[in-house]
Amino acid sequence: MTKDFSTKETITWCPGCPNFKILKAFKAAVAELGNRNIAIVSGVGCHAKIYDYINLKGFYGIHGRVLPVCLGIKMGNPKMTVVGFGGDGDTYNEGISHFIHNYRYNADMTMLVHNNQVFSLTTGQATATTEKGFIDGSTPLGLKERPLNPLIMALESGASFVARGYALDVPHLKDLIKQAILHKGFSFIDILQPCIIFHNVVPYFQKNVYKLKNHKQEDFSAALLKARQWDYCFDKDKKVPIGIFYQKTSPAFESYWPQLKKPWHTVLRKPNWQKIIGEFK
Amino acid sequence: MEKLILIGGEAGMGSALTSHLIGKIFCSLGYYVFNYKDYPSLIRGGHNFNVLKISNKKIFSHGSKYDIILALDQKTIDLHKKDLKKNGLIFGVKETEPIVQKLQGPKILANDVLIGTLFKRFGVDLKILLHSAEKEFGKKSNLIAKAIKEGYKIGKKKENLKKSKSKYFISGNEGIAVGSLAAGLDIYLAYPMTPATPVLHFLAKRQLENNILVFQPENEIATINSALGASFSGARVMIGTSGGGFALMTEALSLSGMAELPLVIYLSQRPAPSTGVPTYTAQGDLKFALNAGQGEFPRIVVAPGDAQESIIRTQEAFYLSAKYRMPAIILGDKHLGESNYTFDQLSKSPLKAVSYPLDRANSYEHDKAGFTTEDAKEVVKGHERRLRKEKIIAREVKKLNPIRVYGKGRNLIISHGSTKGAILDALPGLKNFRFLQISYLKPFPKEEVAREIKRSKKVILVENSATGALSGVITEETGLIIKDKVLKYDARPFTPDILINQLKKYD
Repeated sequence: MTKDFSTKETITWCPGCPNFKILKAFKAAVAELGNRNIAIVSGVGCHAKIYDYINLKGFYGIHGRVLPVCLGIKMGNPKMTVVGFGGDGDTYNEGISHFIHNYRYNADMTMLVHNNQVFSLTTGQATATTEKGFIDGSTPLGLKERPLNPLIMALESGASFVARGYALDVPHLKDLIKQAILHKGFSFIDILQPCIIFHNVVPYFQKNVYKLKNHKQEDFSAALLKARQWDYCFDKDKKVPIGIFYQKTSPAFESYWPQLKKPWHTVLRKPNWQKIIGEFK
Repeated sequence: MEKLILIGGEAGMGSALTSHLIGKIFCSLGYYVFNYKDYPSLIRGGHNFNVLKISNKKIFSHGSKYDIILALDQKTIDLHKKDLKKNGLIFGVKETEPIVQKLQGPKILANDVLIGTLFKRFGVDLKILLHSAEKEFGKKSNLIAKAIKEGYKIGKKKENLKKSKSKYFISGNEGIAVGSLAAGLDIYLAYPMTPATPVLHFLAKRQLENNILVFQPENEIATINSALGASFSGARVMIGTSGGGFALMTEALSLSGMAELPLVIYLSQRPAPSTGVPTYTAQGDLKFALNAGQGEFPRIVVAPGDAQESIIRTQEAFYLSAKYRMPAIILGDKHLGESNYTFDQLSKSPLKAVSYPLDRANSYEHDKAGFTTEDAKEVVKGHERRLRKEKIIAREVKKLNPIRVYGKGRNLIISHGSTKGAILDALPGLKNFRFLQISYLKPFPKEEVAREIKRSKKVILVENSATGALSGVITEETGLIIKDKVLKYDARPFTPDILINQLKKYD
């Protein structure tokens, strides 16, 4: 019998929300990867509800701080498989500094961003990936700024695994999640998850999303080129590639610290008191 | 015997290292030393100085009149000459420069010349000096030894110090670090911030031999969130910062309370709001430590009064935080952290922290299993589950000496934290005063404090702050009002003479 990692909690996402698909893809990926000690971490926003719907170790953190919690869990137990879930507001607004620094650390963990290009649980304001011109409660005159491209940012920050998924293509997303978890180092997937209430761009994605083919994952310049193909705007039809943009082998955070061998609670400690205080005499 | 020695010079000239070495030598000879460090926020230039008080009796503070000034530059003499005692001595550039030139060594050798000259005066054997210098600096330079010898030659022997059992010389920050190791620390995370940074340096340097991880994340917000992640994994974690960094951490402090994740936070205070006066001292963050974070959740706030207490209270913070699953704040300040204290022995607490990994941690209101809820009854249950720990922990803290009373007298001085040293040293100069030290600010020892206040004629609060926050805390906790306050908010610590002057009028 395959485990399905479900809980008894009532799911409170809107009916038809692509978040259901991400949940499905993740559960299937984890089931296929087999026995692993996995901890999931969420931020705050629609995506974060996933904490309640997955029967794995879980940490429902605060807005924007998914990555520091993931890194901390990894420091506390280097044997743990750690997967962070964040929203675009969570990751690219509130937590952008952690997003950049974690590529420098390259700890062996995975970040999945539910990018719906809008703050949904606060009823629809612009995030860092919302397109210019977007009209909403906080920008009734239209959003003046252009969105940032998280893929380019990740690549330029030294990422060792950069991918984009599409929530409405579950088999493809499931496969990406599996490869991200198997990657030794920090892996990042920006998941297009159109909000059907506040930012419904499903028709645009259905028309323009395509899977990367014959793309050299180890070629940084090719990755940048592909990342630039779509600028997170919708004013005219542009092709939106999904798949693994870039992957390289790079030493993981844990490999730099000889102390990081096993979970700390299993380390037997007998502090040598005389030795500790010896230097003060 | 009691001597006060001031050592000063520009930043980078060596006064901090030299005063530490001089203190250590006196400790090895069996004397009690207190070492106060005064430095502005700059790296080269300016004026740094240390004040060493050396005594054959136990002492916990410095003073403001000096027997000897060791000057690495003329500015030190110009600034401090007015505080030299009658018949006091100055050794300075005039004495050191010819020797440094003769040795053709770097300017920094002036420190070693001064060490030689100083200890010759006290009749200390040259071998002891050379041995101590080697222990401190390694064998890297025989120039140091030469400079000490030359300084020794020009010195005049005036006293013959009696030797007794050597002592421990340790700073408050070192006490915090030692206490964390004794408690079973696994991970220390910190973003640099004066005056907590020495704990980061101390533990980072010794991480491999103690099998701990010391890491500096990208900012304070990452620091505390990573610490909570590690705590979730079952690690014993401490983080260190000062007021500004702690302000950035407050959202996650509340998460620690909500998710019931153990975490020890060393909050080393510095003066004034915002950036304030970064390298000086104050106790202005008491109410901040007690109240930081959104929502209502229990916490521990403990304030050590010296380096030995730093060890014990840090161990207690680890123990209580792990057992009752709540954040524990060790409230220190620059004066406690960066001053060196002397003890015959260093002792530790038998208490240890027991840690284990969790399955679920939730920042949202949650049921007992950790699942999110907004149900009215569950929200009530959540609050009660967390807050009832306050009562249980208060009973346990009663057994940990949450207060201590020193001396006898009808009038009561009340204080907390680093002011302990100056107050203890002032007590012999004050008739009819005793001193109540409050070490646990949360849970607050209400009955004990109220009892002491009620049996006193006059009650005076002493605090290194502009408003005397502890008086408000006492009123909130006991209903008793304290009108008389002796406050100091010039970013410098109290000295016993200042306290005696200000307190004696109350009797």
